[in-house]
Amino acid sequence: MTRWLLPGFLAVGVVATLVLIVGPALYAVSLSFYEIPSLTADPVWAGFANYAEVLGSGEFWSALWNGIVYAGLAIILQVVLGIGFALLLNQPFFGRALLRGIAFLPYLLPTVIAVLVFKWMVDGSLGIVTITMDDLGLPPIYWFETETASMVSVILISVWLWTPFVTTTFLAGLQTVPTQLYEAARVDGAGPVRRFFHVTLPSLRPILTVIILLRGVWMFNKFDVIWLTTGGGPLGATEHLPVLSYRMAFKLYDIGSGAAVATLSFFVLMIAVTVYFRVFPIEGGK
Amino acid sequence: MTRSSGARRIPGRVAIYVAAIILAVYSAFPIYWMVASSLRPTQEMLVDPTLIPRELTLDYYYSLLSQTDYPRQFLNSLIVALSTVALTMILSIMIAYGVTRQRIRGKQMIIAGMLYAYMFPPLLLAIPLYAMFTAVGLNGSLLSLVISHLTITMPLGVWFLWGFFKTMPFELEEAAMVDGCTRLGAFLRVVLPLSVPGLVTVAIFAFLLSWTDYTFALVMISSDANKTVPLGLASMIGAFDLRWGDVMAGSTLIAMPLFAAFVMLSRYFVQGLTAGAVKG
Repeated sequence: MTRWLLPGFLAVGVVATLVLIVGPALYAVSLSFYEIPSLTADPVWAGFANYAEVLGSGEFWSALWNGIVYAGLAIILQVVLGIGFALLLNQPFFGRALLRGIAFLPYLLPTVIAVLVFKWMVDGSLGIVTITMDDLGLPPIYWFETETASMVSVILISVWLWTPFVTTTFLAGLQTVPTQLYEAARVDGAGPVRRFFHVTLPSLRPILTVIILLRGVWMFNKFDVIWLTTGGGPLGATEHLPVLSYRMAFKLYDIGSGAAVATLSFFVLMIAVTVYFRVFPIEGGK
Repeated sequence: MTRSSGARRIPGRVAIYVAAIILAVYSAFPIYWMVASSLRPTQEMLVDPTLIPRELTLDYYYSLLSQTDYPRQFLNSLIVALSTVALTMILSIMIAYGVTRQRIRGKQMIIAGMLYAYMFPPLLLAIPLYAMFTAVGLNGSLLSLVISHLTITMPLGVWFLWGFFKTMPFELEEAAMVDGCTRLGAFLRVVLPLSVPGLVTVAIFAFLLSWTDYTFALVMISSDANKTVPLGLASMIGAFDLRWGDVMAGSTLIAMPLFAAFVMLSRYFVQGLTAGAVKG
């Protein structure tokens, strides 16, 4: 019993990893080489036909670009806002503990709810944002009708939902910066701005590297915000690779091409992550 | 000297409080508006709404619970989330403990596999899982959704607990085994009780991911009977006569368990996030 406990645990681990992660991923890649008209019919070997079709279509490239715009802008805003919020929440003031809790709340909400509340707040006739803007004499914004506005909408929702991740992790990092460094900088006559750029940022560079990497990967893969808010529209203006993959597999019933898009998007991500590590190596230690 | 620095500080204090209020409103207003809209009578919603509802009503909650599939969906969400948490705990405890305590080649592969799973696009897992469930006749079942959620929650659990068990000295178990415990006994009586904070964190995030998931539910579930709340609420968006009061009541009900858990267990949430162990 005692001798077999750990090998038994590891065997469970190997089986679970194969069944839940390796198996499905390999199966997805293999599906991308077949023509699969329906899941009950026999798949037909198609070689690279799905890839040729996908890469030859403008849809793939515009979805890739939309994904880069969406993920890129969402990350920049999350990181800038998150750092700002963390610096604020690191100051001593009355009610700070409560505000730290409040600032975390959006992270807990299901995406569906964030999207629904946003749609309710900007509702064309009854939404509080619409009414307030009208009262202030501002022209109405058609949040989901124009290409720019719908991209702004999905980015706004994503930033609101996931900035607390950056705020919380950066705030935890701030506590680890030795106070002597700040005192030394102050003695040397550095103001708050210079202290931030010359003490805080360099000390937290490893944490920031990881935060940006994780957020970048997740934003690039995020499916539900865009699907629920715009469905990829109008006219494909917000369609990124996850939405394209879903639409091909489950709306056009072309599982092979959907799997091809998912596989390609994973490769794009691997390349991006590899380049990222080259440019911003995570130093040893932490 | 003191007077001048004191005078310089006052604008700084004011700026901090102004920024704090902006952050509070930015974070909490949409949530407040959701709750307020779920309690506001319809006629009040149609005319200029006030910041605080003049009258409160529970009508939307009554109609949601008595006339829609919402109770059923809530139960489905609960079954799926609790099953996911239970299976995630069992699997990730066994794997993480095995990986940290057994010297064996190839165990790095398990950890590497977990890390790659972080980077999988959701559709790279959802498409093959859907095809596999269809092949074995599990498609559309709650079990298929639990298994799909495990593909995300298990890597997270293993990754987090791996870091946790790694820091726990082997001497603890060795001492227990010298005292006559079996390895299993040492694990159950010594290691697990000491790991409770890590286990709570993993359970919380497994629950959070499963409870809030929309993507896998959209792919796996097609029947009304097996819909979870996020899927049910989302299908109300396209409805012909959209009843915002009902939608906001449904949203409030599904957010409340998460807020309640956060109030009681906030340090585990923060710990989980800062360990970088969370996907979302």
